[in-house]
Amino acid sequence: MSIIMQLENVSYIYGIGSGHEKQALKNINLKINAGEFIGLVGHTGSGKSTLAQLLNGLEHATTGEIYYDGRNIYDKDYDMKSLRGNVGLVFQYPEHQLFEATVEEDVQFGPRNLGLPLLEVELRSYNALKMVGISDDLIDVSPFVLSGGQKRRVAIAGVLAMQPKLLVLDEPMAGLDPTGREEILNILRNLRDKQKITIILISHSMEDIAEYADRVIVMNKGEVVLEGEPKKIFQFEEELEKIGLGVPQSTKVIHRLRKMGADIPYSCITAEESAGAIYKWLQRV
Amino acid sequence: MFIVVLSLIELEINMIRDITIGQYYQTESVIHKLDSRVKIIATLVYIISLFCFNNFSGYILAALFFLCIVKLSKVPFKFIVKGLKPIMFMLIFTAALNLLWTPGEHILFEAGVIVITLEGIKKMAFMALRLIFLIIGSSLMTLTTTPNQLTDAIEHLLRLLNYIKVPVHEVAMMMSIALRFIPILIEETDKIMKAQLARGADFESGNIIHRIKSMIPILIPLFVSAARRANDLALAMDSRCYHGGRGRTKMKPLKYKSCDFIAYFILLCYIVLLIIIRKFVPF
Repeated sequence: MSIIMQLENVSYIYGIGSGHEKQALKNINLKINAGEFIGLVGHTGSGKSTLAQLLNGLEHATTGEIYYDGRNIYDKDYDMKSLRGNVGLVFQYPEHQLFEATVEEDVQFGPRNLGLPLLEVELRSYNALKMVGISDDLIDVSPFVLSGGQKRRVAIAGVLAMQPKLLVLDEPMAGLDPTGREEILNILRNLRDKQKITIILISHSMEDIAEYADRVIVMNKGEVVLEGEPKKIFQFEEELEKIGLGVPQSTKVIHRLRKMGADIPYSCITAEESAGAIYKWLQRV
Repeated sequence: MFIVVLSLIELEINMIRDITIGQYYQTESVIHKLDSRVKIIATLVYIISLFCFNNFSGYILAALFFLCIVKLSKVPFKFIVKGLKPIMFMLIFTAALNLLWTPGEHILFEAGVIVITLEGIKKMAFMALRLIFLIIGSSLMTLTTTPNQLTDAIEHLLRLLNYIKVPVHEVAMMMSIALRFIPILIEETDKIMKAQLARGADFESGNIIHRIKSMIPILIPLFVSAARRANDLALAMDSRCYHGGRGRTKMKPLKYKSCDFIAYFILLCYIVLLIIIRKFVPF
């Protein structure tokens, strides 16, 4: 597996010289492999969003280096625009950035900024809209008349149309109903499986992380405190709770049963796996 | 017209960041604790006094008075001086105008249309001193009083206007809401700007027309979000039975304490000194 992005000793301090300096990131070392689905979790203010903004060059690290595809993005001749095309960043409540008269034009904003030929722009934005499941009859309407979930998907399409290799999403499910959440998660899974896009998902929902992520990165107060496969991470229930996080509800049940002496493996983390394991255990006893 | 508005907004956003007026400096001091009405009235009296003086000893009094209050307020001096930065150009411009085009008897220097007179120098010095004290005096008030306290005090001081059907409370409410929304909108602008940058937007290169056009992806979402916030706020106020100023009580009613009366007394002493200097001190 090739490494798509690498962070070396990255620190970030807000408001240098203003008197209220605040260290948002401390000595972050990370390797992101191509094709991975990473879950980035942490309490509010742990530095997740800052980290996301460093990845596509919106913020400049105070110290440390960031490499995309082996090249240092802080080199003087590095083309930031191409980086922003390669590393897509979907902000919290991305529907707040919609501005064009029609859905199609709004999605075209990104690829047009990349300076692509018109045909390519149209093709990319149409494909992006299909990827997020926006039907043809909605393409020519104003984005402001859509429902909340639809707006969110259009906004995500606006980033996808730039065809990023790495997609960073900052709580893309916040404020959506269960159907809306499901839709977004399915889109992400499809992107990873079919388009081979590397995905970093910032989320508060441990259930979603358990189900979708290959690797979890846990942050606390600007530092990476835990890192590894979900089933490994979720063994640290106490540590996670100490920093204001938790484990999926089904994992909690299993931990409880194990404490009572039940012989159920740690490795099941999604609700379905857990239900199966508990069922098997019940049959045995 | 639209273009002018756009560039003004851009300028505004940049200016709000470094203007001192409207920035509260949090600390514990006698001046901070004073009733905001006292501070408004004192500031008004102080500003009027600046235009009453006709000699230099008056300005020495004004400077001493001001320095004492700064000392009491515990606000670092550099914060107060920062308020002068935005008006620096205007200050130099008016000073130069006064210096160069004041007619007078004592001509010191003459070259073509430029005539420098003794009267001109005196007028320039007075003008500059007045402007400087005016700005730093009022920024001292805003540094020691929160915007909410200020609007409360203004509402209270203007309540007589209610009798001639001026909706004083409503205007004050609008003012405090507007002030409250400035930091929110700045933050929002920052967020939207970053979101559009992430989509490859470019706000820096190109000619002026191009740059103004590149503001549209920021301004439209900003207006939409301002309207949305206003709507939410109106709904929230409605659902808490807000019905305007009539019969409305305050959470923190304005009440004079003993230190406020002392402050009024000191202000009175200042006015008396001002009259004495104007009448009896010749220079």
